[in-house]
Amino acid sequence: MKTATSFGHGLPVRTEVEPILAWRSWTLTGRRDGDGLLLRPVTAGSRAWRPREIAQATCRLAWSHEAPHVDCSCGLHATHDLDLLRRTRCPAVLGRVALWGRVIEHEHGYRARFAYPQLLTLICQFCFWQESAAASRPDVVSWYARDLLVPMCVRHLGVAETNGMRPRRIIPAAIIDLRLRETYAVDALIV
Amino acid sequence: MDIGLPKRVIEIEPASLPVPEPAPILEPTVEPIEPVAPDRDRPTPAGEPSRDR
Repeated sequence: MKTATSFGHGLPVRTEVEPILAWRSWTLTGRRDGDGLLLRPVTAGSRAWRPREIAQATCRLAWSHEAPHVDCSCGLHATHDLDLLRRTRCPAVLGRVALWGRVIEHEHGYRARFAYPQLLTLICQFCFWQESAAASRPDVVSWYARDLLVPMCVRHLGVAETNGMRPRRIIPAAIIDLRLRETYAVDALIV
Repeated sequence: MDIGLPKRVIEIEPASLPVPEPAPILEPTVEPIEPVAPDRDRPTPAGEPSRDR
């Protein structure tokens, strides 16, 4: 590790050779048969993280700066703490990601230029919101319109169906979980 | 999701990238075997019908 002088925005700059590991969640899409799985940022309109390809940050203000920039919110986001992700919208997959390139460390997380998942697991987003990651073991993955895949426990599948969220197809979660890890060539995340 | 205020900038140049190798392209590495022409010189064993009809 090497510490450099401050630049531009008054933040200290450090140089390292080991990627940072942090927490992140995604939504999940895939075909009716469970193929073509793709991790997508929970923020609508952001680029998907493609299997076996480095995710690279971009910014809609790319003409003025490279992502991530200190004075912008751009970059690939990840958190120090797992529980912070319980505030994200529609998380289907939880993971540990490696971050590298220019990484801006914040009080509760990071914004990075490059990233790739290292460990992944499916979660029942309803259990995750209400309880914790450890309590969010999905039994099935529901397939909805626009290829949206939503992992759920049996109890929350019943709640979803009662409230009009009837899936077009139900796939065992173990199948999608294994296929997801094979697709991205990563190990299982144990929480 | 609010990750708070920026604290510092870290420039990370990993010695090896934490990304798996591209998926292998599954193609046959051995040329397909040519069909073998029947051996017309081979004597027909007793009891086996002759192919030369």
